[in-house]
Amino acid sequence: MIQVNGLTKSYGDFQAVKGISFEAVPGEIFALLGRNGAGKTTTIEVLAGFQRADAGEVRVLGLDPGKDRRGVRRRTGIMLQEAGFFPDLTVAQTVDSWRDFTPWARPTREALELAGLLDRSATKVRQLSGGEKRRLDLALALLGRPDVLFLDEPTTGMDPEARRNTWEVVRDLAASGTTILLTTHYLDEAQRLASRMAIMDRGEIVAAGGMAETLAAQAGRVSFELPPGISPGDLPLPVTMEGGVATCRAEDPDLAAQELLSWAAAKGLRLRGIEVRTASLEDLFLEGIDHA
Amino acid sequence: MREFVAVARFGGRLYWRDKVALSTSVALSLGLGIGLPFMMAKVRPGVPGVVLDTHLGVLAMVLTVAAFMQAAVTLTARRDQLVLKRMRATGLHDREIIGGELVNISAQTVLLAFVVCGVLYAVAGLPLPRNPLALVLFLVAGVSVLSLLGAAWTAVISRAEVAAVMSMPWFMLAGVGAGGFGPVVKLLPAWVGTVLDLLPTGGLVVGARAAYTGEGDLLLPLLNLAVWAVVALVSVRLWFRWEPRKS
Repeated sequence: MIQVNGLTKSYGDFQAVKGISFEAVPGEIFALLGRNGAGKTTTIEVLAGFQRADAGEVRVLGLDPGKDRRGVRRRTGIMLQEAGFFPDLTVAQTVDSWRDFTPWARPTREALELAGLLDRSATKVRQLSGGEKRRLDLALALLGRPDVLFLDEPTTGMDPEARRNTWEVVRDLAASGTTILLTTHYLDEAQRLASRMAIMDRGEIVAAGGMAETLAAQAGRVSFELPPGISPGDLPLPVTMEGGVATCRAEDPDLAAQELLSWAAAKGLRLRGIEVRTASLEDLFLEGIDHA
Repeated sequence: MREFVAVARFGGRLYWRDKVALSTSVALSLGLGIGLPFMMAKVRPGVPGVVLDTHLGVLAMVLTVAAFMQAAVTLTARRDQLVLKRMRATGLHDREIIGGELVNISAQTVLLAFVVCGVLYAVAGLPLPRNPLALVLFLVAGVSVLSLLGAAWTAVISRAEVAAVMSMPWFMLAGVGAGGFGPVVKLLPAWVGTVLDLLPTGGLVVGARAAYTGEGDLLLPLLNLAVWAVVALVSVRLWFRWEPRKS
């Protein structure tokens, strides 16, 4: 379980994290989203005990990672955004070596199988692609059968199949009770995996909540090319214009599309390029950041 | 303890795969440590104490390379490759990570020193130590302090590429102070010699000489090493960097 209450962290004059609070319960995948520099990695590094919080309270499995780093790390797995390997060791040798540092470690074969790297066991780390290195990272993070897993941009550089496999592993771990804190740039990844999320911008949480409820509460969009000779004010619903494309935001975009199409049919017009979209995490993300 | 040993063992495996470590720490140390005293024994046969003097002078330099420089180079490289950060992400304690690495480097260096002493005894007439236990004590303590100081020195090393170069001043000071470059110190003002004697290699050489000859104080050189050990420990505690500077 992860509890963050009023976490603040500065580097010199720069305040990277400004009093954020959130909680993730066992078996939950919690997504922390935001642009580069939003404060996500700093938050994970404080939770993992790499940095000390300047203010606020942080608990991982009931322990303060700033004071009991070893206690926290023995029960957590961390997939860091940036961390190195020994390039001359093979994949299997790397995992074998790490098993010596990890209490109750999984067998090497099992860890590699979970990360989808079994067929690359004998390959030297220097010969792995970026995506394969992320999978090795995952194998090391899973090695100690963690109760809490921190995944900082876990699928960056992975091919689509590896991404899907990783999602499956993450879902299985959550189903078995592991608490997972995920940061990602891929909003579809967060939308598919996480049950709750928080969007960070400039060190603050600008939107948070359950994924499904938050998205359901967001407006959908209907967009189309504005017919010639028609001005936005002639339309039955308010729209915003970008180029020649009109976009109507509505709680129920299907209903709005029906109304617009009926109006067009009555006028003998065609709404070319019409697109109906329910709210996506991307809309929410951009909106949250725009309003911050 | 299990983790401490695991890190040391892991460091040992990597050490013997590392071509740079093998060529500088091992090959250079053996070449210099054996070659120079052996040559002096041939050039100046029958001169009393020449082999021991050269051996101790060169030993100070060799141990500086194999322990101090190797520790600085290894830890800086691990830091820059973000391997230290990854090791910290495991259940390992910070002192187990640094300590394990240093135990490995110290063990390899002590082994090298034993090889150098043994070969010189066999081929260059180096006398057996009157007090072998004291020799072992000073070698182990001296090498441990030097490797700990190497770890502390990483705080001022900006990146791995310059780690060896930035460790060179210590090599030069050790060589001049202990007589590895010949009696250079006799050409310098007396206070320079006094200051250089205060270096950890000074303590090591004085202690080792006392162990070989059976004459001289063991306490003062031990005190020297103890003071340097405290300096190194405090420096590591205060200034050791686990990650490269971001700017």
